[in-house]
Amino acid sequence: MFNIIIGQYVPGQSIIHRLDPRVKLISIFIFVIIVFLANNWITYGLVVLFSIIGILLSKVPFRFIYRGLRAIIIIIIFTFILNVLFTKQGDLLISIGWIHIYKGGLIGGLFISIRLLAIIVITTLLTLTTTPIDITDGIEILLGPLKKIKLPIHEFALMMSISLRFIPTLLEETEKIMKAQSARGSDFASGSVKQRIKAIIPLLVPLFVSAFKRAEELAMAMEARGYRGDEGRTRLRVLKWTGKDTALIIIMLMLTVALVVLRT
Amino acid sequence: MNQTSLKKTVAISLLSAIAVLIQAIAFPLPIFPAFLQMDFSDIPALIGGILLGPAAGVLIEALKNFLHYLILGSLTGVPVGEFSNFIAGSLFIIAGTWFYKKKKNASSLIYGLIFATIFVSVIMTFANYFIIFPSYALFLGFTTDQAIAMSQSINHKIHSLFTLVVFAVLPFNLLKGMVLTIITVPIYSKLKSRLKTFVPAEK
Repeated sequence: MFNIIIGQYVPGQSIIHRLDPRVKLISIFIFVIIVFLANNWITYGLVVLFSIIGILLSKVPFRFIYRGLRAIIIIIIFTFILNVLFTKQGDLLISIGWIHIYKGGLIGGLFISIRLLAIIVITTLLTLTTTPIDITDGIEILLGPLKKIKLPIHEFALMMSISLRFIPTLLEETEKIMKAQSARGSDFASGSVKQRIKAIIPLLVPLFVSAFKRAEELAMAMEARGYRGDEGRTRLRVLKWTGKDTALIIIMLMLTVALVVLRT
Repeated sequence: MNQTSLKKTVAISLLSAIAVLIQAIAFPLPIFPAFLQMDFSDIPALIGGILLGPAAGVLIEALKNFLHYLILGSLTGVPVGEFSNFIAGSLFIIAGTWFYKKKKNASSLIYGLIFATIFVSVIMTFANYFIIFPSYALFLGFTTDQAIAMSQSINHKIHSLFTLVVFAVLPFNLLKGMVLTIITVPIYSKLKSRLKTFVPAEK
């Protein structure tokens, strides 16, 4: 039930790990947009190449990346089949009964699958090589200018780090409550939809109660340590922009130019 | 930052964490298209909206979808699903608490949630027709005609985008709203008595 990969960060010292989170965020933002420029074999080849180089440089064992893909693979297959079956372009390749597969559909389906895979691999790479705390720090700094128009960026980033920090804790807690309720005879895994919905209530109530209790304690602990908002706050870790960060930005710009030039 | 607002901030964060957990176990219903997922991740946001005010609820929706995108990625790479989930969830909370806040008891909550269910179903039907469905089609690379053809094989009444939206999206949102109401109301009545000490006195 809980095969979600949470806290998927894989510690390491590779060049991807050591990149500034701000640069990684910007690059991913650019990547997700420019992937849509690709529309032929060469441009999709470049996208694939970029993703593979990223994986290799990160030195993250492949099984971690596969774990990230597992949830999405069915959707990719679904999209692929949808495209293959319902696009009627190019030569007719196979025709069995009501199934007609056209060349255009096959290529189109392949391209879209590659696009989805590339986007997911690259975004997974971010969470595999960057701690959630670094990501939220990066987001807070990147969105910093919005503080000028009175948007509570600092509070938002704070909430995000607290959430991220407590997801594993609350997951553990959920499992504990589930076990406790199962020991009392409650059944979560089987039964009709209606029964399963009913079983959720005795699971959620203790979870909410403990979450509110935890919130109270945590707020108290933060105040005891002198937390008073963004004003004049100092940081334990200060992000540093180095040569390799500039290099990545240049590579992203080159990739963009390449995709624009080579697309048909 | 005074004490209640810090407490509120932390509570919002923890409720969002629960919402992310719940959203991660979302399951699609067999009779609806794959992107219409039944998930109960609106419950923490709704509870937050009831106990801490609608703004807190909307914030939980935003955090939930942001974190979900950050941790699990999106179907399309571009967070179309997250965005529509945020819109639907926020509207649901705003509509639901708008009724609730006048009397602040279980029956006003039930009326509020029923109103919210209908309201959100209607709004989301239009949003799907004009915005969400076309953007899914764009990012997943199929045309709306293909999706209609596929849906037709499941429900033969569907023969255009409008009928697809009316026969798939509208009943889905109605069902989801009903389930949400059925779950949230008992949780609310159990929580309310226990959390009297937590919930700051009404301003």
